[in-house]
Amino acid sequence: MNTRFLPITLGFLIAGVSPLLRAADPIPDRPEKLQFPVLNYEPPRPADYRVQLKAGPVAYVVPDRTLPLVNITVLIRCGSYLDPVGREGVAEVTGHLLVRGGVGEKSAEELEERLAFLAASLTSGVGGDSGSVNLNLLSKDLPEGLALMRAALTAPRFQADRLELHRDQMIQGMKQRNDDSGSIHGMETVRLAYGTNFWTARMTTGASVQAITVDELRAYHRQWFHPGNFVVAASGDFDRAQLVERLETMFADWPFAGEVAPAVPTNIVMAPGGVYVVDKDVNQGRVTVMLPGVKRDHPDYPAVTVMNDILGGGGFTSRLMNRVRSDEGLAYGASSSFPGGVHYARAFQAGLSTKSRTVAYATRIVLDEINRITSGPVTDEELNTAKRSFVDSFPGTFDTRVKVASQFASDEFTGRFEKDPDYWKDWRARIESVTRADVQRVAREHLHAERAVILVTGQKEEILKGHPDHPVKLEQLASGKVIQLPLRDPLTQEPVR
Amino acid sequence: MKRIFPALFVLLASASAGWAQKIPVVEKTLPNGFRVLMVERHEEPRIAGGWVAHVGSANERPGITGIAHLFEHMMFKGTPTLGTTDADRDRAIIEEQERIRDGIRAEEALMRAALRRGEVEDISSPEARTERYRELEEEFKKLVEEQRSLLVKNEFDRVYSTAGATRMNAFTTEDMTGYFIEVPSNKLELWAWMESERLLRPVFREFYSERDVVFEERRMRIESTPTGRFYEQFNALFWDAHPYNWPVIGWPSDIPAISKRQADEFYALYYQPQNITLILVGDFKESEAMPMLERYFGRIPKGTQPAPEVITQEIASVAEKRYLAEAETNPQVDILWRTTAFGHRDTYVLEVIEQLLNGRTGRLYKGLVLGQQVATDAGAGNMSKKWAGSFNVYAEARDGKTLAEVEQALYDELDKLASEPIPAEELEKVKNNFSASEYRRLTSTFGILYQLIFAEGMGDWREINASGPRIQAVTSDDIQRVIRKYFTKENRAVAHYTRKAGAVSDEDPDLAGLAADQKPMARQLSNRIRESKDVEQLKAFLAQVRDQAAGTDPKRQQLQKILLKKIEQRLAELAQP
Repeated sequence: MNTRFLPITLGFLIAGVSPLLRAADPIPDRPEKLQFPVLNYEPPRPADYRVQLKAGPVAYVVPDRTLPLVNITVLIRCGSYLDPVGREGVAEVTGHLLVRGGVGEKSAEELEERLAFLAASLTSGVGGDSGSVNLNLLSKDLPEGLALMRAALTAPRFQADRLELHRDQMIQGMKQRNDDSGSIHGMETVRLAYGTNFWTARMTTGASVQAITVDELRAYHRQWFHPGNFVVAASGDFDRAQLVERLETMFADWPFAGEVAPAVPTNIVMAPGGVYVVDKDVNQGRVTVMLPGVKRDHPDYPAVTVMNDILGGGGFTSRLMNRVRSDEGLAYGASSSFPGGVHYARAFQAGLSTKSRTVAYATRIVLDEINRITSGPVTDEELNTAKRSFVDSFPGTFDTRVKVASQFASDEFTGRFEKDPDYWKDWRARIESVTRADVQRVAREHLHAERAVILVTGQKEEILKGHPDHPVKLEQLASGKVIQLPLRDPLTQEPVR
Repeated sequence: MKRIFPALFVLLASASAGWAQKIPVVEKTLPNGFRVLMVERHEEPRIAGGWVAHVGSANERPGITGIAHLFEHMMFKGTPTLGTTDADRDRAIIEEQERIRDGIRAEEALMRAALRRGEVEDISSPEARTERYRELEEEFKKLVEEQRSLLVKNEFDRVYSTAGATRMNAFTTEDMTGYFIEVPSNKLELWAWMESERLLRPVFREFYSERDVVFEERRMRIESTPTGRFYEQFNALFWDAHPYNWPVIGWPSDIPAISKRQADEFYALYYQPQNITLILVGDFKESEAMPMLERYFGRIPKGTQPAPEVITQEIASVAEKRYLAEAETNPQVDILWRTTAFGHRDTYVLEVIEQLLNGRTGRLYKGLVLGQQVATDAGAGNMSKKWAGSFNVYAEARDGKTLAEVEQALYDELDKLASEPIPAEELEKVKNNFSASEYRRLTSTFGILYQLIFAEGMGDWREINASGPRIQAVTSDDIQRVIRKYFTKENRAVAHYTRKAGAVSDEDPDLAGLAADQKPMARQLSNRIRESKDVEQLKAFLAQVRDQAAGTDPKRQQLQKILLKKIEQRLAELAQP
């Protein structure tokens, strides 16, 4: 086994002494009476790992000699936001086939056999606003793995039979779009939260996927897969200087010039407030309450994070979970999220699933809790729980070397490092500084329950009946306005009756 | 597909290093019977702590199915000092609630009788409640409200969250109930306090609202998903005698009938120290942890009688079973065979067979998806549980292929494994992946905890370290012997899923009007047209299709019309600069 390696900057200093075992003392009746040694922790610093490669990309290089494994991720500035209207799926298919359609001199079959034999994984994908290629393998195979990674990035073959197969698989997937109420609910949530014209709401269709050609994939690849659009995360069993050399080689002499990806569009439009219902024959209705969100660099964001934790983000310590689940037994889970957003303000969402007859009642509770957090201060105990849970669990953010490299690479990729290089160093202080007044102020500013867009998916007739023990009806939640949304054809996304 | 010899040599060398990789567990036993497993890892200032109770749904009986899982939920409700401001009144309220619940249970017996006579249709609907039931429910609600005024909501969670703990959760399977959390490394004593308190004197308050939560969980996981109820029924069909035939979450009739008294009895029988294993992984010193565990967990009295084990064994199957379902899902075939329990000598062979079949270079993907092209997805899974095991293969049919073809293709791959020796390189590939996984499984502290909980819950954590060499020793002969022994016709249950008539239209709107047998060809041709860059070839094809347009069969006319349109579109595209 290799010896462990811990850079000094990452040393975790445990001050104080180990807990004194007071064997003679009685065990206390409350946990507050326990005393704990002090734990000092400083997060890793991005500058210690950041390397500006001569070949173009910035890399975060994090050695870790504990196991003979290496993990390397290349992030790529591209995404489905670049798909032209009617050509949805080009980005996704390019990402999927990059390493699955053969690379360089290897056919798809040869590459897959070789990787499987080495117990290595080489995967790729393109999502909404980023792409990535990941290599994970035993460190003895690193040179070969990097050569394959370069071949994938520079010379993917996009084998026609693999395109055909993947197209069939995508269409099989599409056919299931209306099978699960969660899938229907998810698609409608995006449409209501951001508008049908926003890029995240544009779905692949049977026609758009059938229209994809190998030429199109090649063009997409050559346009965006260029070192100027890359950020690299590397962690594992290697010598830092040697790995930097290898990365320089991997990205040198790129065979084609790409383009700089344009900015991600931000033209979001939330639907008018009201209750929207999709009729689907399942005995548990899904509910999502939506409100406009903020971007993550908004000055209110730390306070918003704490506020949301108290409202519904904190699991069993949150108000929504306490009321909807523990008090009333109405749902397995009830939660809210206020995710911020890198490029655009991602929506606030609160949600739950409950039997059809209690959908209206459970939704009423969620709206009441949103109103309550805007109209009165949270308690000191709630504020303390939220802050301590964030601050004292903070080391978990960087608890593996893979996470250190990927978090810093992500910050570089999204521009956070450039804007705020001490983000993680300052993060706990920002959370600590949030006051009860801040929580109430941001709740009042950002949560307007009367404007809520409420999506309900389930058995419409049963849901509208309500429950005899809880005299609240769905219509009353939206001043009489319940809008039925049509199911959409899974392959064309056109409304069907 | 030739492979280079030197590379193989390097891999063989590394494989032997791979399976030498053990998880260094220190094992102890406390005087009252708790087993203790500890793994020190000092990279990060966190400790993953957990424990596993050796009880799952297989230990239940009809009428109380789901109690092991409901019990898992109740373990988060607190203690006399956690969760309430007035422990005495809280206890008194719980007792009064139980008296009222006895009355409600008597009404429920009347409602079930009415159901049997056909006087009501659905006793779960709010309208089915008797008058007396409603009165009792009102009384019960008053007590709930009084209790709520004394409650400190989810205080167990609050204490841990405020201490910086994360990942607190628990799970129940047929065989075990596992509880886990991660705490900062200076809070080991908090973990010992919290976990020993809830084992020593749990309070099952809010029992009946939690029972409702569990029923919502059943709706979420099984009843409102496209295939949940089908999988549940197929599983019940597969196991004849064995208690694995009921679902972990419980039958819908049983969950709302479980009483707190039954939960108390369950706790007394199965949550004794000698039926529980405590596990710690992370940044602590074993020499400091042990005295702490002795101090906190040592105060829990040893149980008076051992927890009973599962006696019922599966009967030998004498006939194949077939399950034909129409569901909101793509057409697929799902096959289960009776195999072996966790730790059985043939289980290692089955693990290797699973890997030979799985993955993008596995036999199923290469045979059914890439080769015969009868499926868009295919896979296998060995599911060896504590008391018995099963092996699953499945495939999703490609458009235009019948389930009979897909099923036969799955058997063909297994027959090939049984009748032709496995090439040495292929076996080596699979074993290389087992070797590498011995490193990969060590990358996360929490992951190690989870593996220990799981293996210990299956019967013995030592399997984690013992299985590597046994898997490396599996031979081609072993594989053939095991396939012939277990993968027999009478030993299997076969499910065919077809799509329930309804919603799905064809992929390409242009092809929507075609008959099913025309679609694969139409799609293939239109794809070729779309990818062609050869104008002359396209023009020739256009002429050819036009020439054939003389026929009268409307099906063929439709196809020709579509092809003409596609060729013309493509020619127009190519004509652009």
